[in-house]
Amino acid sequence: MIRLPWMRIGGWATLALVLLFLIGPFAVIIGAALNAGTVPAFPPQGISLRWVVAVFEVQSFRASFFLSVWLAVGSTLAALVLGVPVAYALARYPVPGKEAVRAVVTAPVVVPGIIVGLALLRHAVVPLGVPVMEALFLAHTALLLPYAVRVVAASLENLRPDIEEAAVMLGATRLGAFLRVVLPNIRNGILAAFILGFVTSFNQVPVSLFLTGPGVSTLPIDMLAYMEFTYDPSVAALSALLALMSLAVVLVAERLLGISRFV
Amino acid sequence: MHSIGEEMIRTVLAAGALALLAAGPAAAQTTLTVSGFGIAQDQFRRILYAPFEAQCGCKIAVEAGNSAERLAKMEARRANPEIDIAVLSDADAMIARTKDLIEPIDVAKLSNHARLYDIAKDPIGGNLAVGYTFYNTSIVYRSDKVKIESWKDLWKPELKGRLALPNITTTQGPLLLFMTDRAFGGSGGAFTTAIDRIAEVKPNVVTFYERSAQLLQLFQQDEIWAAPLGRFNWANIKKLNMPLAWATPTEGQTGGINVMVVTKNGKNRELALRFMDMWLSTDIQTKLAMELVDSPANKEVVLPADVADNLTFGPETVNAVRLIPPADVIANRDAWLAGWNAKVAR
Amino acid sequence: MFQDRRIGLALVLPATLFLLAGFVLPVLVLLSGSLQGPGGWSFDAYVRFFAVPLHQEVFWRTVRLGVLVTLTCAVVGYAAAFAIVNTAPSARGKLIGLLILPLMISPVARTYAWIVILGRTGLVNQALQGLGLADGPVRLLFTETAVFIGLVQLFLPLMVLTLVSALENLPADVMSAARVLGAGWIQTFVRVVLPLTREGLVIGGTLVFTGAVTAYITPAVLGGSRVLMLETLLYQRVSVAGDIVSGSVIAAILVVMSYTTNVLLRRIAAGRGR
Repeated sequence: MIRLPWMRIGGWATLALVLLFLIGPFAVIIGAALNAGTVPAFPPQGISLRWVVAVFEVQSFRASFFLSVWLAVGSTLAALVLGVPVAYALARYPVPGKEAVRAVVTAPVVVPGIIVGLALLRHAVVPLGVPVMEALFLAHTALLLPYAVRVVAASLENLRPDIEEAAVMLGATRLGAFLRVVLPNIRNGILAAFILGFVTSFNQVPVSLFLTGPGVSTLPIDMLAYMEFTYDPSVAALSALLALMSLAVVLVAERLLGISRFV
Repeated sequence: MHSIGEEMIRTVLAAGALALLAAGPAAAQTTLTVSGFGIAQDQFRRILYAPFEAQCGCKIAVEAGNSAERLAKMEARRANPEIDIAVLSDADAMIARTKDLIEPIDVAKLSNHARLYDIAKDPIGGNLAVGYTFYNTSIVYRSDKVKIESWKDLWKPELKGRLALPNITTTQGPLLLFMTDRAFGGSGGAFTTAIDRIAEVKPNVVTFYERSAQLLQLFQQDEIWAAPLGRFNWANIKKLNMPLAWATPTEGQTGGINVMVVTKNGKNRELALRFMDMWLSTDIQTKLAMELVDSPANKEVVLPADVADNLTFGPETVNAVRLIPPADVIANRDAWLAGWNAKVAR
Repeated sequence: MFQDRRIGLALVLPATLFLLAGFVLPVLVLLSGSLQGPGGWSFDAYVRFFAVPLHQEVFWRTVRLGVLVTLTCAVVGYAAAFAIVNTAPSARGKLIGLLILPLMISPVARTYAWIVILGRTGLVNQALQGLGLADGPVRLLFTETAVFIGLVQLFLPLMVLTLVSALENLPADVMSAARVLGAGWIQTFVRVVLPLTREGLVIGGTLVFTGAVTAYITPAVLGGSRVLMLETLLYQRVSVAGDIVSGSVIAAILVVMSYTTNVLLRRIAAGRGR
């Protein structure tokens, strides 16, 4: 491609502006988190860690943080357990009604989250008396399934079927071939799916909005509720901590897997 | 389609739920489930929940949120209630009553009932609720920018783009209609005068707020100079260290009672009553007042002047609050919503 | 070896049944609720829903913001994607990492930052007044502008990422060829680049549009009650007013909107190809 000097400069300027727009707000939130005053402000009025410390003292944040972590881990694992076989079958086997299966498996992406929450609450959770925690778990698993299938399918595409065939010819069972040959080769895809699933579940709001209940609240829902009744920089501090946590996840994931290929 | 659908859902979910239950935490203790406002939950835990848990050997689980949303959840789960005791605004308790979501409280079992101010003893009738705190509602304003001496002053042109009003869906919304109607000589009932007036001032309104904490942010960022709000925010407003004043309008101040109700067919009635009784005790009511969490409904509470000044405290203050008669709320709520949606919301 | 249909079926069955029962069915039951009138099936609920002026306004605002956000992301997205593709491969990975970062951060944190930035005393207003572009503070919070800004930040990375992979697949010499044949830059873009990256644009556009019309937190926090969008209206109708019928009508509108956008954009992409 032809590169002219003005294009290079223009390109860098555009990029710088776009990145400033996308990432700048997080710098602001970190600044507001370090504010010494009693209300969120940027630029901060004096630097202090008091609000960062305060986050750890809010009891409900602690409870909902751990709940969110467990929910994210559990529902991602469940989505993988259900989703990996689907991705594998769609890549290898003649599945009857392949297109219908594909449609059902991608359906949760098409339906807006708030509708998922409402539908599950009214037509599954309430009539069947499903407890709150289980309801959240089922909803998040459904939500993550399409991601699990898509990401694992992408890494299966690069794996030629003949090495499995070779393994079977050499005496391995189908299951043995899958576990020994396929699984190690799509390990990175599964890890990428796990990270994406974890992050999606951890940050999820609309689906959880209708499904949280007494004593069971996810972290983002809890943050919204806290913002409803209290106005101090602790939400900024918590946001900053979460932003740094995400940064760490992205760095690790990029280093380990080059996760950018899967998003 | 309905029943077949649910049948199918049931079968598959049951299998999933079973697997989960095996892994889930075992429920060893009785849990009392309280639906409350999200405000000051850390203080409540320290002052009320923890001592109660120690005393009863049970656990308290809290669902926090605003009154209307929690009421909607109670209704959705009517057949299988999770909440034992709910804390609502008086108006929402009335709605809960008409929807048959709550049951009468055996006040004879509340040793502290006699210590309450009279209007807190049976605020919605039928012993269906007990008041635990009052608040008055007036206008908070920037004393360096405007002067507010009447509810009509919210219509002053200098408040253009600097005014926040409560949304009709909040507890404070109907209170605004109530005082506006009085101020402009309306005839009450459907509050048509008030709704027309608010539609007029709409271009000046920055937002119709749904969360009172939002007002702190709006004042602090200089977005607004005046807003009607409840006294329970006053302690936090003062922390902003801005020239903000509490108006005493010529038409008077309005306000409300927050009440406790017992869910119909709840699982832990006895425990719920014990919890209520503890909350109404002079000791707990004093502690909550000292931390400016709630104004006391127990008339035996004694407070130092500086604390009392931040709250709605004492017989005179309590009696001066103009409450919307509960029956009016039930009779006209739909008309208010319809009028507001037609003229103000769009 | 991979001929056995029964194994294929057995592998897809658990997930498919789980989603059918635990997801598709409840959603369909909810949506069908919007089509039930007093005497059986009817569009009654829709007629009554759209008879309310506020609901019409919210509907058009949602469509308008969706289209504006999609167009903005497309224009800015092409510029940014071109710049990224033109960098050295080593820098490209880092840039893409930076683009992914905001996607990974809690949307609650994201919108919270905009409250601090867009307020009357916030950074934007300080800058506007500092540069002499505004006399007094400009009100940005609780306006469509604030929601627009929040949504663009939320969805721009998706557009850039899809366009980057589309541009990477562009044969290296097509642009040079077009230039050699005397086409201007704009002509090259419209005649050569656009048709060849059409699919990426369609995928990105679908993601951005459906994302924008179904976003919840951004309009809830930055728009408030005066800038309702369909999703915030749905929550308000259901949660505060207990109006399930309007809720299912909005749900149906949103699902139909997401679905038709998918189909329509795919159609356009295919049609242009011929």
